[in-house]
Amino acid sequence: MNSAIERLLDYVKSQKHRIHRRELTKEESKKYASEFQIKGMPLIERFTRRFELFMAAEKPVILPYTRIHGLRTIIEFPDIYCPGELEEIRKTHYIHEDGKVCHLAYDYKRVIHNGLASERNKAKSNLEGANEKEREFLLCVIRCIDAIEGFAKRYADELRRLGRSDEADRLFDELVYGAKTLIGAMQSFRILHFAIWVSGNYNAVIGRIDQDFYPYYLAEKAKGVSDEEIQNLVEDFLLSFNLDNDLYYSLAWGDNGQSVTLGGCTETGACAVNELTTICLEASLNIRLIDPKINLRVSSSTPLELYELGTKLTRTGLGFPQYMNDDIIIKGLERLGYETEDARNYVAGACWEPIIPAVGFDIPNIDGIPMALIVKETITNHLEQCKSMDELLQVFSKRLKIYINENAENHRNLYMEPSPISSLLMSNCIENRKDISEGTKYNNYGYHGTGFSNAVDQLAAVEAYVFGDGSISANELIAAMEDNYAKTPEMKYKLSVEAPKIGRDKKTKGIGDKILNEFAKALQGMKNERGGIYRPGTGSAMYHVWHIEGLGATADGRDADTPLAANFSPSLGIKGSGPFSVIDGFSLPSLWLTPNGGPLTLELHDTVFDSEDAITKIALLVQTFIEKGGHQLQLNAVNGEQLIDAQAHPEQYQDLIVRVWGWSGYFVELDKEYQDQIIQRTSYGI
Amino acid sequence: MAEGIIFSIEEFATKDGPGLRTSVFFKGCPLRCQWCHNPEGLSPRPQIIKNYNLCIGCKACEEVCQHPDNCIACGDCVRVCPRNLIRISGQRIDAASLAEKVKEHADILQKTGGGVTLTGGEVLMQGEFLLECLDMLLPLHRAIETSGYGDPSLFKKVMDNTDFIFLDIKMMDADKHKAYTGVSNEKILKNAEQLKYGDTDFVVRIPLICGVNNDIENLTKTAQFLQDAKNLLYVELLPYNLAAGSKYKLLDLKYEYSFQKPGDKELENARIIFESYGIKCKIA
Repeated sequence: MNSAIERLLDYVKSQKHRIHRRELTKEESKKYASEFQIKGMPLIERFTRRFELFMAAEKPVILPYTRIHGLRTIIEFPDIYCPGELEEIRKTHYIHEDGKVCHLAYDYKRVIHNGLASERNKAKSNLEGANEKEREFLLCVIRCIDAIEGFAKRYADELRRLGRSDEADRLFDELVYGAKTLIGAMQSFRILHFAIWVSGNYNAVIGRIDQDFYPYYLAEKAKGVSDEEIQNLVEDFLLSFNLDNDLYYSLAWGDNGQSVTLGGCTETGACAVNELTTICLEASLNIRLIDPKINLRVSSSTPLELYELGTKLTRTGLGFPQYMNDDIIIKGLERLGYETEDARNYVAGACWEPIIPAVGFDIPNIDGIPMALIVKETITNHLEQCKSMDELLQVFSKRLKIYINENAENHRNLYMEPSPISSLLMSNCIENRKDISEGTKYNNYGYHGTGFSNAVDQLAAVEAYVFGDGSISANELIAAMEDNYAKTPEMKYKLSVEAPKIGRDKKTKGIGDKILNEFAKALQGMKNERGGIYRPGTGSAMYHVWHIEGLGATADGRDADTPLAANFSPSLGIKGSGPFSVIDGFSLPSLWLTPNGGPLTLELHDTVFDSEDAITKIALLVQTFIEKGGHQLQLNAVNGEQLIDAQAHPEQYQDLIVRVWGWSGYFVELDKEYQDQIIQRTSYGI
Repeated sequence: MAEGIIFSIEEFATKDGPGLRTSVFFKGCPLRCQWCHNPEGLSPRPQIIKNYNLCIGCKACEEVCQHPDNCIACGDCVRVCPRNLIRISGQRIDAASLAEKVKEHADILQKTGGGVTLTGGEVLMQGEFLLECLDMLLPLHRAIETSGYGDPSLFKKVMDNTDFIFLDIKMMDADKHKAYTGVSNEKILKNAEQLKYGDTDFVVRIPLICGVNNDIENLTKTAQFLQDAKNLLYVELLPYNLAAGSKYKLLDLKYEYSFQKPGDKELENARIIFESYGIKCKIA
């Protein structure tokens, strides 16, 4: 990191750039809205008009220390809908989230390489022979291109006014006529990414920057530019994702889809790790900011050194990189019908969902399937009649299928707002004269399978005590759940502490694998109305919180108030397990059948990361998980901030282990004064 | 087959030897080091551990208790706590069962050049069990961590049946040793002599406590004592940790001591003393 980047980092962290922002006045908002909040005006027209006005209202600001320009100055702009209009649409349509195009991994690479002029020409040449609707679409794409170009021109003018003509020429010319330099490519990326957020489309995934920028990197190297200089530039670029991220639409802070995916393989299957992979990881390590989120694609052939670099990044406490196992995910995507070249090009979506850049418009979070609830209902309604575990599992499979069939009906008649700007940045929309909102090559839906561990643990408890030693009868178990274990604390103890648990007891793996299999089987052959299929996954997003409502106590000894496990992780509060048992328990053979994803989350206290030797050992642990067939891993270094939260909400952190000196212990059990000491020792600024 | 008592099996112990390792904590220790951070390891009997921080005071544990004045760790209170805040520290187990449990992850341990580390408490306090464990844990790489306080003939057998030893040498002065740990260092130094001239790789660990053993005289004597040890890989200094007393309350005990942590410069000086005798020295 050079001194300019250091100063830029300070500048961004102290939020000085925000002085350039302003709220529109009521009058301005009204005036703008009057140009597109017009009933009867086609939505694509409204979208385009709003985009043009917003881009034109943006004031060019050249921040100090940075060479990558583009700063949001207007905090909020009116939406395209008239009051109550969206609610009307909702009466007859399923609206996913906000009904806007989102969660795409764009074909930035193509537009950056070709330049806007070339894309405009392509759109113009497709006007010939186009029908009215197609013509409207293409004209809107052209207007979006013009708006971006106008925005770039004003930035170039501002640079010229400051006497920086070379930069001005590069910014404008490379965006319009195609990038020639690495800095030009990054600058164009910035402007295009900026435009997406201005348009109201969100969760704009960043994708494979180590691949997309590699030709430009090689060109710089041929000119004699050093890796150090390139890393400074990459740091500048990565910092730009933090300038406006507080303005981005997201369900939770930081959940804005600005995900980078590094490493992995090429479309031909060759190893894609290159010099830029390392440079990007090191740049992220240096800037230590929450955006962009880093995902690292690995496989059984990934060398330990890459895991070590990843571990150093984990040590910063930001919760990434997330590891994605190519061996499992690519095979899984192929099984679902993705072409091999596309599957090999996958990136992490906003969270963990593998999506295909340029050609995929999957909705990987169409809904969540409450596995824990379905198991509980199977037990409550059928356990007394079942004579064996096999019989119970068959009933579970049937109920799961029924639930999914009913759930799929909820998503009929999907409404999606058009987006000519996202269409520009996805492949073949211009050639096909069709807006991206109408779909593209892949239009699949993904289901989260939530409460996985609690589902497995309930079945494992029934197997052990109802069908196994007979120590609990079906009646007793059902009555105890109904009563939230109030009168049966000893049964609760037996079920929650002593019963077999996934992530601790190997014998539960069979049940875990069976659930994954049945989930995949239940979705097999189903088609959605957009011509896509359904992808099963192991994530939970926020569903593990929502699915507690009405669930009550479960047969794994969990009482009604205890949260479900998030994503693909052990049930909360299980004791006597450890990282080996967890990675073994969660590397299930059928994971490739559930490639919608959802990571195993492992938390290690950041003191574990205290030496080079420890870094190597953690890297070995991750490598072992991948080699055992785990699909995705989020490894967290728990830092001071989380410990403070653990002190305030100990019930949520009952399994958080801190390691100090030679011992380890559950953080929530320690005396407050010692908790304070540990917090003080581990709090370091981010 | 002898039965032993352990209080924890910890997977992914990063400080206890090469590669990925599982550490097994033996329960019971004849020493009473004033800086001990692992009070669970002192008593050789099962004990009740209760998390008072989250206790809601429902008294279910007291109502069910049949031995209020003389806890026998029967576990009645454990099973009725509505929040699962009570557990028993101390599990009786035979060597075959322990080995089977550890070997569940033999693939991970062996692939990464790791293995198992038996620690405590004091492993030498359960000699027969320890030897059986070392035998049954084969072919895993086996390390032990010990205070060295044990019968020299037992120590010799252990040395011959283990791959790696961490030995604590707290201080060279016998009287001071007795004052701060409750026992003389005579046996410890005898066993250290066996290690010095034996064939087992070992590391010496020194908990560095201000005002107890951080003086130049003690460190110099320790370095002189170790300088001709052919299989000594390095000396590791463990600076006193201010969180040493963290776990006492869980056992309804009070931590009564207070020591200072050595500063960076002091640690560096200590390191230089060992290096001046040709001994590699690390600071934990």
